[in-house]
Amino acid sequence: MSSTSPLILADGITKRFGANQVLTRVSLEVLERDVVCVVGPSGSGKTTLLRCLALLEEPSEGRVVMEGVPISTPSPDKQVKAAAREVRSEIGMVFQHFNLWPHMSVLQNLIEAPIRVKKMPRDKAVAIAESLLKKVDLFEKRDAYPARLSGGQQQRVAIARALAMSPKVLLFDEATSALDPELRREVLAVMRQLAREGMTMLVVTHEMGFARHVGTRTVFMDRGEIVEAAPGSAFFDAPQTERAQRFLQQFADE
Amino acid sequence: MFKYQFRWDTVWGSFDFLMSGLQMTLIVSAATLVLAMIGGLIIALLDMSRFRALRWVGISIGEVVRNTPILVQLLWVYYVLPIVFGIRIEALVALIIGLALYQAAFISEVYRSGIQSVPKGHVEAAQVLGLTPLQSFRRIVLPQAIKMTLPPLASNFVQLIKFSSLGAVISVSEITRRGMELSATNFRPLETFTFIAVVYFLICWPLAMAIRFWERRLQNR
Repeated sequence: MSSTSPLILADGITKRFGANQVLTRVSLEVLERDVVCVVGPSGSGKTTLLRCLALLEEPSEGRVVMEGVPISTPSPDKQVKAAAREVRSEIGMVFQHFNLWPHMSVLQNLIEAPIRVKKMPRDKAVAIAESLLKKVDLFEKRDAYPARLSGGQQQRVAIARALAMSPKVLLFDEATSALDPELRREVLAVMRQLAREGMTMLVVTHEMGFARHVGTRTVFMDRGEIVEAAPGSAFFDAPQTERAQRFLQQFADE
Repeated sequence: MFKYQFRWDTVWGSFDFLMSGLQMTLIVSAATLVLAMIGGLIIALLDMSRFRALRWVGISIGEVVRNTPILVQLLWVYYVLPIVFGIRIEALVALIIGLALYQAAFISEVYRSGIQSVPKGHVEAAQVLGLTPLQSFRRIVLPQAIKMTLPPLASNFVQLIKFSSLGAVISVSEITRRGMELSATNFRPLETFTFIAVVYFLICWPLAMAIRFWERRLQNR
């Protein structure tokens, strides 16, 4: 719990699916108020790394450590499982395909976890949900069902839903990839605002502009490994490795 | 055929007799649906069980029932079960058990596909937010799965109404049996069985149409 230990840490994570090795000894630490952007070609293991940190996948080797406490290991023991349950809802995640629950209204989507998991009284959960909806500028959609919303609106609701649990860190898995360009902007604006407010974020993204201007650190992954990591826009101004240079070339026009 | 003299009065004269059969048909269908829904749930749970032995039992029941004729199953329940267990089974009970077992095998598939139709991402979202597997099943999976299973369950009911006519073979006095009895005394099978076919159609067709309309509405949501 010391202030020097990272908020969340991937400690030498290797992940195999059968014979297919997706991650190879990946280590990455996220400090409080960090906005770490993970970039790289598709199939480089970015999403799998994020899913390991979100406790949706178990590492084959290595571990996930939150504030000094291991929360995920290969075949975890009781202690690790208990620690994971403890911090589960402190790690929020925003998915590429939103994953709002279609049979619940926007408001119900937001209050479900606070009421069930945190045992929060309904009024309080509703009050928090409403203020979050105002924050993402969707208060007037509070009683709408997800199917009635545009992709950009759905993703903003999904962000609000994650925030409703007041997570310590928010993981974004290509949160804008499924959206049309004109809808991306509204989602990126919300993400930028969160970064400004000091939210700790780990963002897997293809939005180089966001990584460059909002990220405090950029991590470049390729073929299951972290190839390069650099603070702020340094990665973009002076990529060190040939692989990173080749990767950035594709975005030269942007 | 052209010189055939229709004698519909032979049917009208026995209208109440035939309608008492219809009542039996509907009772059998409803009772069977309830049993089949419960049986289907049990088979589905066996199919999805963590234990290989239970899965094997569930899958075996399903395969045997789906790959033998319903009429043979009914005859088997009616004639074989009493021999094996040394008990007498009423024809009505045998019909309901036989039909329920048959439909349960299909309904278990309906349940399973309903549950599997819920995208994995919805469950993962619940998991990340800290909902327990049970909470996520009850609050996220089940409500969506039920909505998907209602129309196929209703279609099953329509099927049941038609399958219950097989009860005639083991002398359950549902409407088809009543027709057989009537035509054996009035010697008017054409009028009798035409009337009975129309009765089945008038019940099943509107139900089938309503279900189709309902399914389309669910899809458009």
